[in-house]
Parts: sequence; C-alpha cells; structure tokens
Amino acid sequence: MTPLPDRISAPEQAATADMAHLAKSVFSPAAGRKLRRHVLAAGRHVLLIGVAMAFMLPFVWMVISALKSNDMVFSQPIQWWPNPPRWSNFLEAFNYPRFPFLRLLWNSVFYSGAVTIATVVSCAAVAYGFARLRFPGRDLLFMVTIATLMIPGIVTFIPTFILFKALGQLGSYVPLIVPKFFGDAFFIFMMRQFYLTLPGELADAARVDGANEFRIFWQIMLPLVRPALLVMAVFMFLWTWHDFFGPLVYLSDTSQFPLSLGLFAFRAQRDTYWGLLMAAATLTTLPLVIIFFIGQRYFVEGVKLTGIKG
Amino acid sequence: MQPERVSYRGRLLSRRSFLKLAGFGGGAALLAACAPAGTPAATTLAGTTVPPTAGTAAINLSFWTPGGSAVWCSSFDTIAQNYQQIEPDVTIGAAQCYTGDQSFNEVLLATIAAGNPPDATIIWSSPVAFAVRGALEPLDALMASSRYSQLENWPGGVLASCQFRGETYGLPVTAGAYGLFYNQELFESKGIPSGRADFPTTWDELRRLSKEFTHWNGDTLETAGFFPWSNPADPGSAAVELAIWSALNGSQLFDSVNLRYTLNTEQNIEMMQYALDWLDEEYMGDVVKVTTSGNWSGSPDAQGRPPAFQDGRLAMFTNGNWFTGDMYGSALAFERWDAGLFPVGPSGSNTASGYWPNWLVIPKGSAHVQEAFNYMDYIAGEGILVWFANVPDLPANLTVPSDLVPTKVIEERGQAFAEDIQAFFRGQLDVATPMWTSPVQDFGNDQIARAIMQILGKQATPEEALTEAQELCQTELDGALAVA
Amino acid sequence: MSGFRSPWAHLSLMQRREARAGMLFVLPWVLSLLVFTAYPVLASVILSFTDYSIVQTPHWVGLQNYQTMFTGDPSFWPAVRNSIYYALISVPLGLVASLALALVLNMRAAGISIYRTLFYLPSVVPPIASTIVFIVMFEPQSGLVNTLIRLTGLPAPAWFSDPTWSKPGLVIMSLWGIGATTLIFLAGLQDIPRSLLEAAAIDGAGPWQKLRNVILPLLSPVILFNLVMNVIYSFQVFSQPLVIGGTTGAPFESMLMYMVHIYRNAFRYFKMGYASALSVVLFAAVMLITLVIFRSARLWVFHEESGPVA
Repeated sequence: MTPLPDRISAPEQAATADMAHLAKSVFSPAAGRKLRRHVLAAGRHVLLIGVAMAFMLPFVWMVISALKSNDMVFSQPIQWWPNPPRWSNFLEAFNYPRFPFLRLLWNSVFYSGAVTIATVVSCAAVAYGFARLRFPGRDLLFMVTIATLMIPGIVTFIPTFILFKALGQLGSYVPLIVPKFFGDAFFIFMMRQFYLTLPGELADAARVDGANEFRIFWQIMLPLVRPALLVMAVFMFLWTWHDFFGPLVYLSDTSQFPLSLGLFAFRAQRDTYWGLLMAAATLTTLPLVIIFFIGQRYFVEGVKLTGIKG
Repeated sequence: MQPERVSYRGRLLSRRSFLKLAGFGGGAALLAACAPAGTPAATTLAGTTVPPTAGTAAINLSFWTPGGSAVWCSSFDTIAQNYQQIEPDVTIGAAQCYTGDQSFNEVLLATIAAGNPPDATIIWSSPVAFAVRGALEPLDALMASSRYSQLENWPGGVLASCQFRGETYGLPVTAGAYGLFYNQELFESKGIPSGRADFPTTWDELRRLSKEFTHWNGDTLETAGFFPWSNPADPGSAAVELAIWSALNGSQLFDSVNLRYTLNTEQNIEMMQYALDWLDEEYMGDVVKVTTSGNWSGSPDAQGRPPAFQDGRLAMFTNGNWFTGDMYGSALAFERWDAGLFPVGPSGSNTASGYWPNWLVIPKGSAHVQEAFNYMDYIAGEGILVWFANVPDLPANLTVPSDLVPTKVIEERGQAFAEDIQAFFRGQLDVATPMWTSPVQDFGNDQIARAIMQILGKQATPEEALTEAQELCQTELDGALAVA
Repeated sequence: MSGFRSPWAHLSLMQRREARAGMLFVLPWVLSLLVFTAYPVLASVILSFTDYSIVQTPHWVGLQNYQTMFTGDPSFWPAVRNSIYYALISVPLGLVASLALALVLNMRAAGISIYRTLFYLPSVVPPIASTIVFIVMFEPQSGLVNTLIRLTGLPAPAWFSDPTWSKPGLVIMSLWGIGATTLIFLAGLQDIPRSLLEAAAIDGAGPWQKLRNVILPLLSPVILFNLVMNVIYSFQVFSQPLVIGGTTGAPFESMLMYMVHIYRNAFRYFKMGYASALSVVLFAAVMLITLVIFRSARLWVFHEESGPVA
C-alpha cells in the first residue's frame, strides 16, 4: 500500500473548515442560514448517535454478558452493567481446556489472511476481464458466474467433499484456501460493478498511447478501485474469520482449528456456558475491530491521493 | 483531462514478471496451506505413548462425539488414556468433539459417503435410521463375545432403539429416563400433599391438580400447573415425548414390531382431543398467549428467557433424569423438588416412561471394527464411570453398579435423596415404551411436531392432523424400507 | 481454414489482442468453475432426479421428487410463502436503509470514522453470539425492542412467540446486517467525483437533485450489485430462522424458510435427492428474478460502456 504523504486527514480538514466558516459567518447577514446549517449538523449527529447506539447493541450485549455469571446473562430486566463484573470470565475463557486462544488466533490469522490475499489477487484481475475487456462468450460466462451464487452450498457440499476426498486433500486447509486463488463469484461480481463506474475513455486513451492491457489494468484501473479492493479485503477477512463450517468439515486435527470453531467448546450437551462463551467471543472479536478501524480509514484516505477523474 | 498516473512505488511490472510473481505466490500459498496440516488421529494424549508389543502393529482409532462441554469431551480423553493402559496396542486419537448441533450429522454423513468415517462415534439421533440405510456395522456377533455388552445386559425397551430386523446396530451407553418433575414447595404452599406416593395417577387427577396452580393476569400467564403434553414452544421435544403419552393412553405412535406408524389410532386421537380440551379450559385455548407469557420449561429457551420451573412459576413438567443436575444451571427459587410416575390416560392401564440415549455406533467403512467395538464395550461397562463422574446421565448397561449417584444432587439434596431419585429413574427405564425405533425417526418426529402445532393452533382437528401425519410418515417409511 | 468461420474472424487486430487479454484475465476463474464448481453443481442437478440418502448409492426416480414437491409435501408451500415474504420485504428495506446510512456516513464530519466502525460492529460479532443476542432483544416481556415500543405507548407484539409477528421480527433483525451493503455503497460513493457534485451545486441543484441526478446514476452499477446479491442471499436466509424455530419452523411453521426446509431434508431426513430438487427449483426461481432485474437494469443502470448486459 502506498504510504500516506504529509497531509492532514479529511476529518481534520473538515473540522478546520467548519470552524473557519463559523468564525467568518457569525456576524454576517447570512448568519441565519449558517445557523440553520449548524442546527442540521447537530441534528445529524443526534441521529447518528441514536442509530449507532442501536447498531452497537449486539456488540455491547456481548461484552457485558462476558462479565456476567451464567445465570445472570438472561436475567430480566436486562442488567446493563453486571454487579459485580466477573473479569475472571476472560481469564477462565483464555485458559479453558479445548480453547487454546493463542493457537486458535494464529490459525484464524493464517486462514483469514491466506484467503483474503488469494481472493483480492484473483478477483481484482478476473473482474477486470469481465468489466473492460471484450471477448466472445463474456456475458454468458458472467451470468454463469452469478448463477453459481444461487445454488445453496448445503447441496453442493457432499459432492464437493467427495471431490476433495478423491484428491486426497481432507484434513488440511487446502480445500478451503486453494480454490480462492482462482476467484470468488461474489467478489468478481462486485469488482466488476466497481470497474464499470470508471470512465471507459481512460483505457481507450491508454491503448492509443500503446500500453498493453495488462499495464492499463495494473497502472490505471487498479489504483482507481482501491476503495473496493479494501472493502473486498475487509469483507473476506471478516467472513473467513467467522467461518466455522468449512474448517469443521475439512480439518481433522484440533490443533489446526480457528477461533470460530474453538468457540463451540463452550457449548454443553443441553446447555451453554454463556458468560464464558461471550468472553471468548469478545476476545475473538478484538483483532477484527482493530483491523477494521485501521482499514476503513485507509480506503477513504486512499482516494484522496489518486487524482479524482474530472 | 489526463488522469494522474500512479505507479506503485515507481516500479513498472511487466506482464511476465506479474505472472511469475502470481505463480510463485500461488505455489508458496499451496505449500503454506499444507503447513498446519496435523497428522490425523496420531495425536496421543498427554505423555502416555506406550510402545506396541513386539510383533503387533499399533492400531489408531478415531473417536467422535457430536458435541458437549469441554468437561465432557475431556472426560473421553481420560477414558481413552485408561483404556490404553489396558490395551497398549491401541492408540485412540483425541476425541473429536463437534459443535453440538445438526452440523455433526452433515459431517458424519459426508465421511461415511466418502469412505473415511470415524472408527467409532457417539450419535444423538436414532441408530435405526442410520442402520436401515446400511450406514452402521451390525454388532450382535461382537456383543456375544464381549465382556459387558451381551444382549441380556441391556434393558430391552432401551435396546430396541438400536435394533432393526433382529440385528443390533448400536450400544445405548446412557439412557436418560423421563419423569414428571414437580415443585414440592409449591405444592405445600397450596396445602397439597407433596410426597411421590401422593402424585396424581390419572390424567383427570393431573388436570384437576394443574388448575390449582394456573393463574392468569389478563392475557399474561403468571403461573401454570402442567401443560399438556410438553412445552408448547418446543414442538420438536413435544413430538419426542408424545410417545410416552401415547403409551400412557394405551397406544403407541410407532409399531416397531410390524414397522408401521400408528399415529391416528382412536386412543391417539382421544389423547390429542384431551389436550385440546385442557388447553381450552385452563389456558384460554390460545397457545400463543402461553408461549408469549414465558418459558415454560426447565432451561433457557432460544430467546434466552429463564425457565419457569426453576423460577417457581411452573408446578410440574416432563423432563429426563439429566435434569436432576441440569436444573441447577439456572437460579432456583426453591429447594425441594421430586419426580413422579407418569399418570395414566383414560384408555391406558399402566404407567410408562421414555428415554433419550447417547448411542455408540460403528459407521460402515470403519477401518478397525473389532478394536473399535472393544473400546465401545469398555466405555459401556467401565469408562462410563469416568463419564458419570463428570456429566451424570443414566448408565444403561446392567453390569454397571446401580449405586452411582450424581454429586450435584448429593450436594444440594443429600445422599439419601440422591440415591432414591436415581433408583426412581432406573425404575422408569423398566417401564419405558420403545422409542427411537423408526427408520424415518427424524422425519416422523417433525411430522408429529407439525401435527401438534396444527392441533393446538386450531388449524386442524386431532383426527385430520394425525391422519395427514400418518399418511406422510407411512409413505416415507415404505420408501425407506423399499431400498433398505 | 476455408469453410470454418472462427468467432475471431470479424475482429480487428486490436480487438483480438483485447479478447486474448480478457480471456487470460478470467482464465483462473474458468478453471475454478470447471474443477471446483461444475462437478458439484452437475452432481446436485442429477441427484435431484434420484432418491439419495447420502450413505447409500443414489437410485433413479425421475421426476418423482418434483411431483412430491408440488403435490405431496405440505410444508413446501408454507416454506415458499415464508421465503417470498422475507425477500420481498427485507431486500428493499435493507437497500434503502443502507443507502441512506452510506450517504450519511460519507459526509465529512468530525469523528466520522468512529461512526463507521460502530455501524459495522454487529458484523464483527461471531454468529454464535450474535444470533442469540438479536433473539434476546426481541423477547416479548422485557426485551429491548418491546421496552422501547412500550415507551411509545404502542402494544408490544410477541415477536418470535407469535406466528404473525415472527417474520416481521426476522426482517427487523436483518437490518442489523446492512453493514456489508452499507460499506459497499460507501466505497461506491467514494468514486463519485466531488467536482461533479460541486458543479451541480453551482448550477443550483439542492441535495435531493444532487442525489437523483448525480449520485444515483453514478452509483447505479453498485446499486444493481447490492440488489441482486441481497435478493440471492435473502432467499438463502438460514441460521437465524433455524435457531429461532428449530427444524420445525416454530411457531406454527412461520419460521420455516425455504433453506431450512432444504437443510432438514438433506441432513435430517436422509432425503438429499429431494433436497437437491428443492435447490434446483430455488435456483430456477432466483435466476428468473435476477434475469428480470438485469433486463430492467438497462433502463436505470448507467455506466460508460454499453453492452448486451448491464
């Protein structure tokens, strides 16, 4: 990823701009209009905060439940802060037999990371082929691609499993990672749509200049869809982080298990140790929150660096 | 306007170098993908690698369970460790503990289809359904020459759940027996005698008793006596337990001798009509009001609501003997409870009960049938003691000492009561009606659940709903038997 | 070479080079389709004409599965109705909500990156935890949703205990999952040149006109993507209805979604052949709907390159 140059960030820019406007306009005849703008801005914040709180609920519930003992988790009415908070739940979850957190974490990082890289590399290229290069049978192939998304995985699961058994790849991550190097229908579709938002003249102009298709892709198109690439990376990482069924089916050695599978250690035959499960789930979530917070800044900033097509 | 040209760090990659990179990256990833591949089933337990005796190759067994708590799964590691002391030629891989839900079936079926199933596994659904389709190894010959698992060492009614056309396909190592749990302190607060001997013996008595406890506040049910026949919010469990109530009314849901469904017998229709009348009389005829008002069971439901029984709001309900320990997973509003025999219906004459086993089976395609069975036999007779110490259930094998008592119950209610309640549930196994014997067990259960929903939801009469379910189940059964 | 009309014959040299490059770009995906997708999908289609218990070899029954589906399965039409209801309501609702949210989150304001993380938090929570969290919020007596509703004086429905309210509850629950769609819209909004919006403002366009005439058209390829993907996935909703209603779709079959019906036939009833037939019907229906959407897209999706498919 290209390093950020010396600039102030967009939020800082905006804040400074707002302040400057405020100072300039307080005593001007257009003060009334400015005031209205700021009331709207405040209203927007209130709305954002309200909706944000609603959205945060599952996360908040998970974290506060992580601090409760088992029978308090579902108490009615809901306890917003456990009394007393059981910080020991986190320690207990960390040391729980069959939940070796660090090893599970490493496996998750490996699995999600490998799949993410594979997907980004392959889908960026394949989607470009569908979007901007004309070849016979392209549109039919594209519809077939979308069609593969409509077939429930439940049903294709058994033949796929038998296929990998025949290839001798059960008991490893290969069935889960290798196919991703060849593309993923969802992201091929998504990236294609993003490529289509770019103006077609860009490629034509470059072709006239003598650039070959690959250089056009690599040097012109790819940087312009960087927000989408980052979205793809964040999604794939996140979804793979939560994927438990793939590892469940294809891995046989518990030392290979990712966090998503490890969480099931807290389920008993007819019950679940909710407090511990939520503590473990919170631990599982933390790396994601950090990655996402860092990542989403970049794809906003990233576009600011490349020249906006005008 | 020309767009800005942005190159990645000023380098211009040619197509060739990109392809080279991609290929290299792909290859590296392939290699890396193989990296954390563990050696399947070779992981032995902490430290105890006992070398095989000279001349015999060590045999590796894989053992699965559908799920369970970490404690439960770890107890299998202990059992395996103990077993390996006795049989040094056999190493048992760490118990593969799955997610505890339906996904396990997916994996098990896939591995049987692909030809690499576990050598032995516990299952939580009926072995008969698997056996009919040729997915399990028959065990009779192995049982005859075994140490603990001869045919006569298993209660007949319970073993029926593993038998099809005279052959046995599984060992029901534990068989949770059902009883009617009741809140003694709630009884006493109403001046009702709370001893087990005083418990209702007929449905009419049960119904009269239930009215004492049911109290509505507008449209909200605050306390309830007994709901016919099971928690209305869980039709799946209700379908399982309906077999018991059918037997109490002198009939059955499935005839395992003749392999026929008998859902719409007169007695079964009578049974559901009785439930409907009860619903109308005591519960305003509206199941939705009941389920909205609370969680009328013994464990937190899918909505996380605390169970009404432990809360002291439900006086009586059906559950298995595992509940004697599981009860304490939720905060208890009272101390003294007991379990009674199931009352008899208008057309019935003897009490009956039910059971829900953990089954040990050997999937078809298992590489080491004899060794796997030896291990299963060991679990049934000896390993079960370790199992019980961690997760008390009811050991079914008759060679297991019957004085096993769950520690949790001793803690809460004292030794004498614990022994008494355990003996009670053992007795329940003796009067258990055959269950889990249908080759289309889960399909049948869901159809029965659907019929219950339709009847209680007033969308069909008992006769209509049971007849429709009967036809569907019988057709399905005939189809399954035709290809058996 | 005479007599054989190659599809390449009418292309110019440059077009041929472009076509070659295009096919090279999509080659990995084609390989994946052939190796990892073709066999399982074809197998599933063939299995739909068989009686297949997974553990036995399939045996041919011709159209019997399809016959049973339409005439002999009393749960089939309820499942279809439930899934159509859910798709019809949750998809438009989700799209509008996520677009609105993306527009708000796209504004330059102080702390906006924090808001973006907050809105994506529900997706970060592991499914094993989030499913139960959402369900707990809808608990009739003292769950959060009803507590808020009672504050407004309206009667509080029984949600997942009541067959009339269980699907609306599921639809509302789906709103927490708009994080992914929102993020994709956000990335798409990044690609809209600020200069265009400024030019529109100079021409006197208000926010609503900017939305209609600049943002929506330029965003339309992304809207198309989100629409199609949300339709596809709404028909495949599975884990939440399964947790709420079990394999019976309680209460009163209202939670029996089509995917749950497929799933229980495949892995609970040993009827994988019938499940495959159900999947084929699902595929056909969704394909039809998607084709209709793509057709209509010619009218409203705007992008630089004109082609036979939007």
